[in-house]
Amino acid sequence: MTELLRFGVLGGLLGLDGTAVGQFMMSRPLVAGWLSGWAAGAPGLGITIGAILELFLLVSFPTGGARFPEGSTAAVVAVGVAVPFDGSGAVAASVAMGLVWGEVGGWSVTVQRRVNSRLVPTDVASRTGSLGRAHLLAIVTDFLRGAVVSMVGVALGRAGLGVVDARWPVDPSVSTGVLYVGAAVSLGILLHDLGGFRRRRILFVLGLAFGIVGARFL
Amino acid sequence: MSHDTPPLGAFGMLMRSLLIQGAWNYRTMLGSGFAFALLPALKRLYGNDPNALARAIERHSEHFNAHPYLAPIALGAIARLESDQVDVETIRRFRTAVRGPLGGLGDTLVWATWLPLVAVCSLVLYWFGVPGWGVVLAFVLVYNVGHLGLRVWGLWLGLDAGRDVGARLTAVDLGSWARRLQGPLVIGLGVLCGAVLSAPGGLSSIGPAWSALAAVAFVLGLVGGHRAWRPAAMATVGAIAFIGLWGILS
Repeated sequence: MTELLRFGVLGGLLGLDGTAVGQFMMSRPLVAGWLSGWAAGAPGLGITIGAILELFLLVSFPTGGARFPEGSTAAVVAVGVAVPFDGSGAVAASVAMGLVWGEVGGWSVTVQRRVNSRLVPTDVASRTGSLGRAHLLAIVTDFLRGAVVSMVGVALGRAGLGVVDARWPVDPSVSTGVLYVGAAVSLGILLHDLGGFRRRRILFVLGLAFGIVGARFL
Repeated sequence: MSHDTPPLGAFGMLMRSLLIQGAWNYRTMLGSGFAFALLPALKRLYGNDPNALARAIERHSEHFNAHPYLAPIALGAIARLESDQVDVETIRRFRTAVRGPLGGLGDTLVWATWLPLVAVCSLVLYWFGVPGWGVVLAFVLVYNVGHLGLRVWGLWLGLDAGRDVGARLTAVDLGSWARRLQGPLVIGLGVLCGAVLSAPGGLSSIGPAWSALAAVAFVLGLVGGHRAWRPAAMATVGAIAFIGLWGILS
């Protein structure tokens, strides 16, 4: 229960960073994953899961009123689910849970924004202090939203992974391969956003060659 | 800042600008957050007249939207206009006029360029074997130098330029900054793809079939753009769920 609460607090705090407070991008999966792993005594697992989720969510940003998968929830839940398991499918299954729960987190953000519409007073002029109070209340409820969504995600994910972990039928490399293939779509989307392959081919291929050589020999 | 600009609680506005999206909602969007962040300036200007203060808060709580990092430009400019006692209707028109450009510029410069650039470079560090804490530290430090620098510069620009902020922004040409950063981002993306392919534990160590599948997935994203994201993520989840189910049934 204490561990669940710890992930809840982390999910709440990092959820705030996503939109309401600061936007220092501590809520990006790469950072949130490592922080969650560090909080649970497994920073290596945290950064592994965070890096995979960051690949998926490279093209997802908190723009205006759009609904987007919540990266902090995805990372906190994925790491929280994976920590107690060491089976060959633990990372893959927890990343999958993170992707699903990131969508749940995104949906909860839209609900929070509807709640904020009611919290923000329409007659702020009559009481100047009400503006600050409404702001604080919206931030507190957003923290609670992130905390509850994260705790529920970790609890459900652990229950699910507990059933399949010992019976995972494939090698970890196959599960990881599935994740990388899925994440490759996001990398393609990013190049699409930057002008497409035809326009950017020289720079992209130069980078690709350096990446292949560098990752192998550096 | 010009020597004749009155002290307008710039530090307070800067700190409050970090909470400008604290009550983001579909009715006023950033509106109430904008008034909340502007409050230090409004209190200095109208602190002795509660009615004038209330009226100022009311007009600045109206619908507003901008990129959160560039909103301090509007905050500074409007604080300056209020202190110059520009008429209310002009301030309202100015507020309406700046919100579109500040949103579009911020999305292009920050969300579509700066954030992916720093994230891609950090992921490259991870795949090149840099320890996790080093990757995270590099990401947070580099990203926030740009982030906080933009906020501080924006507030200073707004306070200094007032109603001329549009011309000053045009001269600075933030859009060209985004275009200049896109080249390094494309190179970084290429390096990342190469690293994911060939790093120890990467796709090539799993087998050539997986590299080929990833190449097909990359092309799908390249052709389909953002429409391809959700189906791809859900297909990945489906594939992992199928493997899990297969394990249970067998």
